[in-house]
Amino acid sequence: MASVSVIADVADKLASLPDSSAVAMRLKSEQYFDTIQGMLDRFARKKDLEVVYVTTTIPSQSIISALEVLEIPMDHIWFVDCISQIMMSQEKRHPHAIIVESPTMLENIMLKVEFVLRKHPGRNALVILDSINSLAIHNNTKILSEFLHILVNNLRSRGAYTIIFSMQEYETEEIRNMLVLVSDETIEVGE
Amino acid sequence: MPNKERDDDERERCVTGIDAIDHILNGGIPRGNTVLISGSVGTGKTSICIEFLIRGALEGENSLYLSVTEPTEKLLENVIPFDFFDERLTKQGKLQFIDLPKTYEKLGIDKEDMDFDQTRLLADTIVQVVEDQKIRRLVLDSVTSVCYRIKDQERIRDFLLRLGTELSAKGCTSLLVSEIRSSDEGYSQWGVEEAIADGVIVTGNLERRGDLLRTLQVVKMRGTTHSRAKYVLDLTTSGVLLVPLLKGGSVATGG
Repeated sequence: MASVSVIADVADKLASLPDSSAVAMRLKSEQYFDTIQGMLDRFARKKDLEVVYVTTTIPSQSIISALEVLEIPMDHIWFVDCISQIMMSQEKRHPHAIIVESPTMLENIMLKVEFVLRKHPGRNALVILDSINSLAIHNNTKILSEFLHILVNNLRSRGAYTIIFSMQEYETEEIRNMLVLVSDETIEVGE
Repeated sequence: MPNKERDDDERERCVTGIDAIDHILNGGIPRGNTVLISGSVGTGKTSICIEFLIRGALEGENSLYLSVTEPTEKLLENVIPFDFFDERLTKQGKLQFIDLPKTYEKLGIDKEDMDFDQTRLLADTIVQVVEDQKIRRLVLDSVTSVCYRIKDQERIRDFLLRLGTELSAKGCTSLLVSEIRSSDEGYSQWGVEEAIADGVIVTGNLERRGDLLRTLQVVKMRGTTHSRAKYVLDLTTSGVLLVPLLKGGSVATGG
């Protein structure tokens, strides 16, 4: 059952941020879908943002199924799915899902984000990176820091919001340092 | 003493319309340059060239694609369906396609080994089309195939020099597609092409921990300062997109 407090907490905290903020979103696993709901259903819809959801953790189709249950419209939500291909997933591909072969292809993630943003010029965007922990499984710290630095600065220069998920249970010192380096704010979900 | 930055500003540019390439070249290809687009199969050479022509035609510059290896109809069937392509460009003649083998026939060039006169005739014929049609952008896909029929290095040099000089004088910016194998050290089959060209843009495949990335690098471009870094490219319906190759994952450092 959804936690109204988490959903509202996430939406309120995001709403208080200045435009084009880069945010580290620290959450616990059980807060995952509530956080997504607060972000997509409350914050992004209210701000009329085009959402690019980069998933490296769960196949996009699983998240889309959850969004359907929550009755969150997909019109302005696009997925860059970096996990379905390496999982050899046979699931059907949603027309709003773009596949990147592997979470190690960090440049291709940037390219697909760029592609989606180009398809929707003139609309403010929210780019969600879900999550830094799973990206850290597939990439070393050096290349991951470089990727985040380029991506976040590029998005900031375009006036887009960036939200980087970090699952508290899987955080390491290196991940925390990386997040401090690239983000303007840290949101502790539910605190 | 010449000021390099001022030189960049003074030279008129052919804005390719491919944002990232224009950024790499500090505003575009210097107008009239002959540029070798060199790479192995499947690295995006033809897509880059087609986008260059379409973007030019959309800006009102007459653009011509000379196809050697593939009939135009087959080429158009396989090319990326760019969002920005407008069929009216071909109907209005802003974007033209010519199959070079048909030109060979018309000119009576039927031998596999072109002699000096035939080589000159071919170069002059292309230049004449450019002049008659007021072409501002030209793609020859591929110069390697043409050179295969010329064979002799001296004649290849003469052909490329004549073509490049004449096209440049007419303000036509040209991309010559060079087919190489990924194992080749140079940027062209005969070695002559890269020496004569004003610019060399190399496309390639980079394997990194089992992932295959398409890359692009500007190795040389006369008339402008430019980045010489390697970029990763994606061929999309919105056009060619580029981002910097991440150095932290380079093969040399073990990724």
